[in-house]
Amino acid sequence: MKSDSQTHLSRRVEHLRSTPIDGQALKKLVDAGLTWLRTNQQTVNALNVFPVPDGDTGINMVLTMQAAYDEIANSPERNFGKMAHAVAHGALMGARGNSGVILSQLWRGFARGVDNVEVLDGPTMVHAFAEARDTAYKGVVRPVEGTILTVAKDIAEAAKQILEDTQDPFALLERVIPEADKSVERTPELLAELKKAGVVDAGGKGLFYILEGMLRAVHGQRLDVAVTSVQPLSAMRLEDTLETIEPGQDFEVVVDFRPARPLDLEQFYNRLEQMGTSIQVGEGDGIYRMHIHVPTDKRYEPIEYTFSLGTITKVSMENLIDQMEALERQARNIKTPLAPVEPGRIAAVAVSPGPGVARVFASLGVSAIVEGGQTMNPSTQDILKAFENLPTDHIIILPNNKNIIMAAKSAAELTVKKVAVVPSQTVPEGLAAMLRLIPDGDFDRVVADMSAAIDEVQTGEITTAVRNADIDDVLVEEGEIIALLNRKLIHSATNLEEACLGLLEKAEAENYELVTLFYGADVTKYDANHIADAIRKAYPNLEIELQDGGQPHYQFIISIE
Amino acid sequence: MTEENTPIGSIQVAPRAVATIAYHAALQSYGVVGLAPKNLLNGLTNVLVKDPTQGVSVQYDGQNINIDVYIVIEYGTRIKSVANSVANTVRYQVEKSLGMPVNQVNIHVSGLRISDLD
Repeated sequence: MKSDSQTHLSRRVEHLRSTPIDGQALKKLVDAGLTWLRTNQQTVNALNVFPVPDGDTGINMVLTMQAAYDEIANSPERNFGKMAHAVAHGALMGARGNSGVILSQLWRGFARGVDNVEVLDGPTMVHAFAEARDTAYKGVVRPVEGTILTVAKDIAEAAKQILEDTQDPFALLERVIPEADKSVERTPELLAELKKAGVVDAGGKGLFYILEGMLRAVHGQRLDVAVTSVQPLSAMRLEDTLETIEPGQDFEVVVDFRPARPLDLEQFYNRLEQMGTSIQVGEGDGIYRMHIHVPTDKRYEPIEYTFSLGTITKVSMENLIDQMEALERQARNIKTPLAPVEPGRIAAVAVSPGPGVARVFASLGVSAIVEGGQTMNPSTQDILKAFENLPTDHIIILPNNKNIIMAAKSAAELTVKKVAVVPSQTVPEGLAAMLRLIPDGDFDRVVADMSAAIDEVQTGEITTAVRNADIDDVLVEEGEIIALLNRKLIHSATNLEEACLGLLEKAEAENYELVTLFYGADVTKYDANHIADAIRKAYPNLEIELQDGGQPHYQFIISIE
Repeated sequence: MTEENTPIGSIQVAPRAVATIAYHAALQSYGVVGLAPKNLLNGLTNVLVKDPTQGVSVQYDGQNINIDVYIVIEYGTRIKSVANSVANTVRYQVEKSLGMPVNQVNIHVSGLRISDLD
């Protein structure tokens, strides 16, 4: 144990501080950084410059950190330097996206800075931070400031300054983190795009969360509940929490309220933690939404507690056990009847963003479905797995998303089968292509035919803007409904009906014959019907079809042909 | 020559201009340490180019814009991820500046630069 100056710290921290920071300690720290980043993943994703909900910086960074952790998860290594190299190797192998690559470079530089170091101390840590910065900066000719690079630079700089006061690595970390936070807050000043979009840099924020997670672990704070930050309402994904139902936490309580005084978040979370689990808090326009899972006998406590804080605007309470059963029933029901494959014939594989879309593809003769869409890009492996076992050598893949075409092409290269990717960028394009599939036709001819069909259909998409923006001369405010025609932002409106009609007008729908609306998971059939009726009225000569698409994020995917 | 007709006349954009946009977009992408000459007569992959048209080729067939970018990447980065992000950035920047869709962006990794040995 150390000097009495540390008596104010909890015993746990003291114990940790007296333990040398060796390879095993690094493993725990990496795990903590990963866990905390994952907890705050949605917040990072929401820091997106383009106003459609497809931000993936958080996901990319989590997957990169996950690969880094997987590399060391079972390693008994005690040498800090060797462990750091293993982390760097894992991060490199798993690097995804721009921020993931930079993160892997930071780890690589860090590892080089602690080469052959048995146990980490303050000066070595500062040296390693500097190496991490240098390595990351070497990776690009023109570093863009106001990004994760700037944050790494500021961290290295701050650490160097603080080293003059203290040599204790934990104390260093404690003081570096507020500086990292400030650096993240400064990013909009350095990068005009961020300022215009009114966000801070997502990669920098992710790096901050990794470091903060490490410190939280040292302090013995919880890592599985986002505490210090409140996510924007649009980023809250309450459905995700259904998977983590714990026994005894039988009721889900969601309360919308307007606090009378500014909310003391730390205290707010502490009180909620005494009541239940799976806590999430979102904020938008002064309204807070609180979500919690509580045991049956405590189900009124969160409501009474928030009642003491301000005005409650809405309360909803649901029995989770019942909800789970309903979900399971639903999952069983949507088994899609896929087209059987006959050996030697051509089989089609489609990527589908929702169960309803998958059903439509299946009805058109698709033999395998890969789940995935805008924010959930399937990996090359996922696509490969889908067709490897089909009893035919002729495969056609429909990616149905611009971001998936690349993975589909790599999958095509990895197999011995004859595979062609028909580059459909949207679901309607994929459907239009499917109509041309002739299973026993000439392979090249069919592929050419299907590829040509893509251009014959126009794709409209309706979604909610996740923040303010001014793109392609369309002014968009957060929460507004925006319409995209062939992936281009063309219209913004305050409600769905207006957005749909605006979209069809811009698409010059009167020159086409058939409009198919796939309504998403967030839209009820009633509302969808209502909008379809409005369209029928406006375009009496068009045939309007309504399908349950079940896709997330996009209220409507519209095919105009 | 990339063309667009407006009611008061036509706008022509030289391939060189498109190449310049792509060149700068590529250089700002993380992991790219330079552009390589597209004509590798003698396999001189170590030479980095300063002229945009040397490292980028732009083809326009009256309908589609296809861009080929020849890059040198920092050793130790994940090549696939870097190439992906270069392709995305180049497409985004060119489409944003030009207001016309880009059909294809092909990335050719001509070499790796080793800054220092691990």
